[in-house]
Amino acid sequence: MSPGLLAGRLIVVVGGGGVGKTTLAAALALGSARQGHRTLVMTIDPSQRLKDALGVAQEARDEPVRVMAEGPGFLDAALLDAKRTFDRLIRNYAPDPDSARRIFSNRFYQDMAGSLSGILEYMAMERLFEVQASGRYERIILDTPPTRQALDFLQAPERMMNLVDSQAIRFALDPWWDDARPKNLAFRIVAKGAMELSDRLIGRRFLLDVVEFIRAFAPLFDGFRSRAEEVRVLLKAEGTRFLLVAGPGPDRVPDAMFFLRKLKETGHRLGPVLVNQVHPDPGPAAGDDEGVALLRYLADRDQRGLALLRSLLPGRKGIAAVGLEPVPPTDLLTLGQLYEKMASARTT
Amino acid sequence: MSALERLAERQLLVVTGKGGAGKTTLTAILGRLMAGRGKRVLLLEVDPRESLHQALGTCPSGGAVVPAGPGLAIQNLQPAAVIEALVREKVPIAYFARKITESVAFRQFVEGAPGLKETALLGYAYRILQGGRRREADMVIVDAPATGHSATMLAAPGLLAQASQGGQLGDMAAELAGYLADGSRCGVALATLAEEMPVQETLELIELLRVQQGTRPVLVVANGMYPVPPAGAAPTPCARLLAARRRLNEAELARLAAAWDGPLLELPLLPMDRGPALAQALAGLLAGVDR
Repeated sequence: MSPGLLAGRLIVVVGGGGVGKTTLAAALALGSARQGHRTLVMTIDPSQRLKDALGVAQEARDEPVRVMAEGPGFLDAALLDAKRTFDRLIRNYAPDPDSARRIFSNRFYQDMAGSLSGILEYMAMERLFEVQASGRYERIILDTPPTRQALDFLQAPERMMNLVDSQAIRFALDPWWDDARPKNLAFRIVAKGAMELSDRLIGRRFLLDVVEFIRAFAPLFDGFRSRAEEVRVLLKAEGTRFLLVAGPGPDRVPDAMFFLRKLKETGHRLGPVLVNQVHPDPGPAAGDDEGVALLRYLADRDQRGLALLRSLLPGRKGIAAVGLEPVPPTDLLTLGQLYEKMASARTT
Repeated sequence: MSALERLAERQLLVVTGKGGAGKTTLTAILGRLMAGRGKRVLLLEVDPRESLHQALGTCPSGGAVVPAGPGLAIQNLQPAAVIEALVREKVPIAYFARKITESVAFRQFVEGAPGLKETALLGYAYRILQGGRRREADMVIVDAPATGHSATMLAAPGLLAQASQGGQLGDMAAELAGYLADGSRCGVALATLAEEMPVQETLELIELLRVQQGTRPVLVVANGMYPVPPAGAAPTPCARLLAARRRLNEAELARLAAAWDGPLLELPLLPMDRGPALAQALAGLLAGVDR
């Protein structure tokens, strides 16, 4: 069995797009539940096939849905939807219904809250805080957004805290153009110039929408800051492991190395590295028609990728190859088989 | 008219699709094919970890325009650098320009303002193409970033124009949004794999383009098709794997074709590493299947 595949109370599954992260996260969670642990898998944008395999539908966007129970263990699944989490957060934490209404009716919030960069990552974090605080689960497996650029969500707590404390927000809460406040003449001239410049460049309405949004949001900032801090601590806690899923072949190695470097830099704990969708070698007896020749090339390519990764990570335990499935899992039976395959994968 | 002929009539082409679906390879292939038609083509790469140069066998760009064959050049472009250049242009006094670009508030605005980075990139391509007689390229092909939802990039200028109404930024974004919506000058090519999630995302993107922009992709390319298994192959585990993968490809391709009536071309999975030889082989195959 591959060492530490299920080590950790929180397992964060990271990796580039299209490497099968979401499916492996679900298989891992099923394995955990079968071993008698109360397990939750939180996933983002799963395929229809995987939702069918888990037997969950859109209702899992609001509350975790029971997938299976066996002895003391069970598996719940939750789907992550950034805008809905954001809405719920505001309803739950706004000091009064009127403040919540002000935010909901803000044009900036309506148009952009969902597409604001980093929002999905931040909301994943808020959702994680909610379920972690509920104490219902012994193990949470968090699937992460398929971002190639960076591990944005790792920085989401810090970024949120910085934003709350930032000059930009202070300005917005105490704007320089607020005529009600006495200001000296020099300040007024500078402020007027700054205002005219930003007005000319980005338009006053945009500024006003943003300012209004931040003002409506201000009562929630303290809560954000403290929850962001708790999640930051949780992500670096003893029981938290980052499991990296990489695609096969040398072309995908730089991607994997990028994630590994980033995790190391930020001081997070790395668990196993799974190289997924590795093609099997057909062997010399298989003949040499077009398909077999292709498979031979792909098997060799994928082995070169594994060798390269291992040579770049000398002394690193727990790099395992997971073979390419003929068909992706379609139900709990095949998902369970995938877990067995992951657990028995040859590691070095 | 074939799909590639119609594609050749565009000035700005955005290549997009799910991560790992072969966007960069498709960008390289289309660049070669368009340059082969006598156009001067610039390929813009957005990912800071450069890989386009590998597909064309040239050195990495590092931000500069690098030649990659007759009529073909590549450039890796970082949005923040484009925005800073724009500020330097709009704010003529270097001291103030530097004060602005170095300020925390500016950096947070660049990071946080929705659609700003995407707009800056597309705006850069737009300005090259509007360069009049002195323009450096006849066609720009953008290897769009691998985002979860690729439509964000194309919708960005419109979103920004709406948000920043009345400002210069908003005016520029509005002009760009109008340009992007002009199907005779701009187009989108989608790279996909004949697998469930890539096909799903491709269908969603086609629908989003229709609703948001009122446009249709010029071309959809399904990359990495497994070969048709030979008749009467022995039922070894490998033969079963290959056959199952091919069936999955065909089923997903059929699902795509049922919902998309535009040009859809297939490219095979070839036993070759990424590089100029692969790009050349695939370019030949793509031209061959395009009728």
